[in-house]
Order: sequence, then C-alpha cells, then structure tokens
Amino acid sequence: MASVESSSGDVIVFTPKASKPPPATTVGVLGWLRENLFYSWFSAVLTFATLYLIFITVVALYQWGIADAVWEAESRRQCLDTSPHGACWAGIITWFNAIMYGRFPDVEQWRVNLGFILLFLWMAPMWFPRLKGKIGIGIMVVALYPFLAGYLFAGGERGWFMQFMVFLAVTAFINSWLHVILSLTTGRTLGEWIVGLTGFTDKHERLHKYPHLGFTAIVFAIVYFFLGDWSVVAVNTNLWGGLFLTLVIAGVAIVAALPGGVTLALARRSNMPVIRVSAIAFIELFRSVPLITVLFMAVTMMPLFLPADVQLNKLVQVIIGICLFAAAYMAEVVRGGLQAVPNGQYEAAKAMGLTYWKSMNLIILPQALKLMIPNIVGNFIGLLKDTTLVSIIGLYDMLLMLKATGQNPIWIGLHTEPLMFGALIYFILCFAMSQYSQSLERKLKTTL
Amino acid sequence: MSDEALAGSEEHIASAISDEIVITFDDVNKWYGEFHVLKDINLAVRKGERIVICGPSGSGKSTLIRCINRLEPHQDGHIAVNGVSLDGNVKNIDAIRSDVGMVFQSFNLFPHLTVIENCTLAPMWVKKMPKAEADEIAEKYLARVKIPEQARKYPGQLSGGQQQRVAIARSLCMNPSIMLFDEPTSALDPEMIAEVLEVMVELAESGMTMLCVTHEMAFAKRVADRVIFMDFGEIVEENAPEEFFGNAKVDRTQLFLSQILAH
Repeated sequence: MASVESSSGDVIVFTPKASKPPPATTVGVLGWLRENLFYSWFSAVLTFATLYLIFITVVALYQWGIADAVWEAESRRQCLDTSPHGACWAGIITWFNAIMYGRFPDVEQWRVNLGFILLFLWMAPMWFPRLKGKIGIGIMVVALYPFLAGYLFAGGERGWFMQFMVFLAVTAFINSWLHVILSLTTGRTLGEWIVGLTGFTDKHERLHKYPHLGFTAIVFAIVYFFLGDWSVVAVNTNLWGGLFLTLVIAGVAIVAALPGGVTLALARRSNMPVIRVSAIAFIELFRSVPLITVLFMAVTMMPLFLPADVQLNKLVQVIIGICLFAAAYMAEVVRGGLQAVPNGQYEAAKAMGLTYWKSMNLIILPQALKLMIPNIVGNFIGLLKDTTLVSIIGLYDMLLMLKATGQNPIWIGLHTEPLMFGALIYFILCFAMSQYSQSLERKLKTTL
Repeated sequence: MSDEALAGSEEHIASAISDEIVITFDDVNKWYGEFHVLKDINLAVRKGERIVICGPSGSGKSTLIRCINRLEPHQDGHIAVNGVSLDGNVKNIDAIRSDVGMVFQSFNLFPHLTVIENCTLAPMWVKKMPKAEADEIAEKYLARVKIPEQARKYPGQLSGGQQQRVAIARSLCMNPSIMLFDEPTSALDPEMIAEVLEVMVELAESGMTMLCVTHEMAFAKRVADRVIFMDFGEIVEENAPEEFFGNAKVDRTQLFLSQILAH
C-alpha cells in the first residue's frame, strides 16, 4: 500500500528502496555456467566428461586433418609414405577440378564459372535494402537466366530462338544493373529515367511503355552487335559432373518445386472435381514411390511416352523426374500453409470483391508461404541432398565424383578424405540455406 | 456499459429512406447439408434504411447477411442486390461484392499489410485506381474513423477497437452503397465498444444503407429504422424500434427482450 491514513490523519510517505545489483555469481557468464553446467556435483562431472570428449575429438581431428596431413603428393602411395596417419588432402587437390566440374573440358570451365558469377551478380540486387523493382528483377532472372546459362554450359549450335533468348537475357542483365545503379545514385528507377529522357513524363502512364520498349530494343541491338558471332563449343551433358552438376539439378528442381507445389496445392483445394482428383492422384503417386524409382522410370519410361522422333537426353529426363517429385512434396507443405491461414482472411478477401487469383496472390499465399518458410526451406535442403541419387543412374554428381577419386589406380584407397570433403561442401551449402531461412523469417516478422 | 455511453443522446437519428428497394429476399431457404438454417425469409430493404437484426445464437442472423454478398450460397428462393440477381454467376457476385461492404466480428484485417495498405488494396486491385488516388481516399476514411496517425502501423500493433475501425474504413474505401455488420462489437472490450459504435452512428447519420447484426440494443434504439428479431432461422418479428422495444407482439420476442435488457 502506497500510503495509509493513520487514525490521527497523518499520511505515511512511501519512498521506494534503492535498486541493488544482483549477486555476481548469478549473472553474466559465471551465472550461466553455474546454472547450466555446474548446478550439481553430477552435472559438474558430466560437464568435465563432455569437455574431455570434445577435447580428444578435436585434437584427434586436428592431428589427422591438419598437423599430419599431406598437401602435396603424386599418388596415394606417396601420401602414405610421407605421413601414414595423416589425411591425404593431396588427392583432393589433384582431383579438385573433377570434383567441381566433372569431366567438363578444362579449357571450357571458365564458362561454368561465368555462368554462376552472372547469376550471383544478377541476383545480388535483391539483397540491397532500398531498391524498388526487385520483383521485376526476380521474374526476369527466373525467366531468362536459364537460357543464358543453358547456352553457356551446353554450347554448340543454336537456333534463332535460342540466340534471341540469350541476347534478351544479356539485355535484361544490363538493364537490371543500369536500374540498380540509377536507383542507388539518382533515386529514380530505370523506367522513370528513360521516360524523363524522352520527355514522356507528362503523357499518360499507359504510353510510358513505348520509351521502355525502345530503350530495350536499342540495348538489344548493341548486344547483338557485340555478341552476334559469339559461340562456344558444344559440351555434351554426359560430361557435366561434380558440384556443377549437383547445383544445376538442385537449382532447377528448387526453382520448379515452389511454383509447381503452389499450383498443385491450389488444385487440390479446388472445388472443380476433375482438377482436384488429378492433383490428388499426382501428389499421392509421387509421394508413394521412392525418388530412385522415379529416376529409373524417368530414364527408361519417358521415351515411351514421347513421340518417336523426340529424344531427350538423360540429364533432362532426370531433371524432369526430380522436378515432378519435388513439386508433389512441396504441394503438401503449401497446403499446410493454406490451411493455417484463418478462414476470415479468405472471407474478407471475397467480401471486397477480389477474384480468386487476386485474393490468392495478394492475401492468402503471402501469409501461407510465410508461415511455411521453415518447412519449405527444409524441403529445399532435402532436395539438394537428394540429388546424390542421380549417381545410381550414372550421372557423375559430386558424390559419385568423390567416390571415383578412390577408384583410380594411382589414388586407390582414398576413401575418408573425399567423403569428409564432400560432407564439408554439403554442410556449407545446407547451413547457408538454413541460416538464410532464419534471416528471412526474422525479416518478415510483421505480425505480433 | 455502451448503454451509458450513448445515453447522452437518446433521440433517434433522422431517417433518410428513399423508395428504391436495394435488397430483396423472396422466400429464401438455406440448408447446411440436412440442417435447415434459413426458413422462408422475405425481406425488402430500401436505400438509406438502417436495419438491426437481433436474436439468440444459432438463429441464422449472420447467415442471412452473409447470403447478401454470397459468402454463403442459398439453395431455394431468390435474392437480388441493387437489382442484380444472386445466382451462380461469378461476375455478378464480384460486382455485388465490390458494392457491398462487410465488417466482421473478428475484424479480418490482413496482418502482412500496413493499415493503409489494407485500405488501398481493394480500390487499387478491383477498381484499378492509381496508388496516389487510393492513398488519398484511404487517408480520408482513416481520418473519418479517427485514426489517421495509425496509417503506417501493422494491424497487430493496434488495439481491438482501432482494428475494427480500420476494418470499417477499409470497407468504406470501396465506396459501397450497402454496409453489412456482423456483430462488429462482440469481440471488443467494453471500453472500445463505444468508439466503434460512435463511428457506426456517424455512418448511419450520413445516410448509408446498413444491415447490422448486433446485441447493442441502445444502438438499435438510436439508429435503426427497423429491428428484426430472428429465431430458428425465421424472421419472428420486425418493427420500428419504438414498437419493437415498447410493444413486442410475439411471445418469443418478449422473452428475448426480457433477457437481453435485464442487465
């Protein structure tokens, strides 16, 4: 009670006590240690035992992997002679190109590097904080980069369609970066700058697309002028391998899985019986068979379904199989998200007169996908690791390449080092995806 | 409590009813599976009329107003809104929905958008309004519901009363000719009911055609041109408020009134 009327009418004045700091052993590092690791004699024993185990493991790993390791050798025999108890990283270093690129010809490997660097550069603006038009950049990347990358990686003769798409992709890339530079330096978007240049600012918004198209055509012409005769040697997809092949397969599957999954999930929830039953059949079929079976069927059965003169190469068949499989799994994840969005959101969207697709795109899917981020990214991580299964049908993904290093007569017996290296690479990739997913969740946390 | 809040101004607001009939229900019946939830509903609402629908839980009042914008389909009978018949035709339904605003008991604001984005979404995407114009209209209506300073916040950061007022502003941004309210104050703390009812009274005074499902009887007495009492899916009694509250004819109505006006 803050104040009490005593019978004589005097009021007791309340003055709060001064705050004191907590005891030193309950806060900070000391407090945490006491509370979590040393709260009883038994826990102290366990703590010391665990510390000891960690110590001997780390020391043994260091001894094997770094202190006694051999970094330069001509063969495994030489490795073992130099240091019998150390890791033979020399093997990995010798085989590094093969592990990364498979049997891609050495002189052409710059194309693979260029392809991935271009992707990175093109996507980098998505992470710039105050840039407008990111969605436009994203759509162009998804729509056009595959053609550019496809040509860079596969090379060879290209028809007029492929030629057009490759130049369009380069044009879009240049436009994207012009837009980024303009936005960051002058604060205007590329569209606004073009329109300002041609004096169209006062005219109606609908007429603005003409200067935009004109500018794009000019850039396209410049690109054609410089790159018109450029071509690269064909590299058969059978030579693709290593981390390069893993990333190509996983990349295509990841990009296809999400839209495919969303479509299937919406189809499964549709009121139209034919669409709903087809979606259910597709999802249940692909969920009921192992991925290996899907891959085998893709390679052996797909030629039976296609017309006689259409010949798909093995890699394309495999990618199609994995994409369908991934879409089926993603469909159930998205469906979970759609169910978790409260019914009132659907009703409010309907009550405002939004059509089905507008309400899905503006209201429901943003919420459903945001709810399911952990699950979706977990699915992607699983997909990356599932690509190792293509080794069963003879595509030399990174895992198969790593195993192949130990089957060569010069390096026979090299087992542990490739697998550890492979584990490290997969860990880096998967952990990066996992961390990205968590940062995405933090960034999108707008509701309380 | 809300009775006291409105007690200062007990007189009924001026009537603004025109002759044009905007909503008609002709022998409407609705079932949920085997359960007969609306029985032979006949109703004609004129432009500018304010109707309060009351009744016990499960009487079909929410179902009735949800049939008006086809959130629920009806299986028998005929409903027409602004002359447009409500059947399976999707274009008709979308056209009606952009002209009929609805405010829900649980607000149903879009949590991933700011308050002003909630309000400008429908004008921009249904009426194809440019963003600047939509923003202007949204700010006008947010000021009208007395929360213009909350425009950039997310719904999760607002109190219940503020959220419901945003919901009302969001519906008004589409410039509807009819407003439906489905128990708008039932999920609110007593302190916040008054601020929402104030907005609804002001809306009624501006001549909006309103159908309101509510338990706030002081509001009904002040605002309604007609009070409808429903039970077991049928309209038991409908009358002007003085007659309804003072001289209820059906025994079921009298029982209901004695229970609801007791506290």
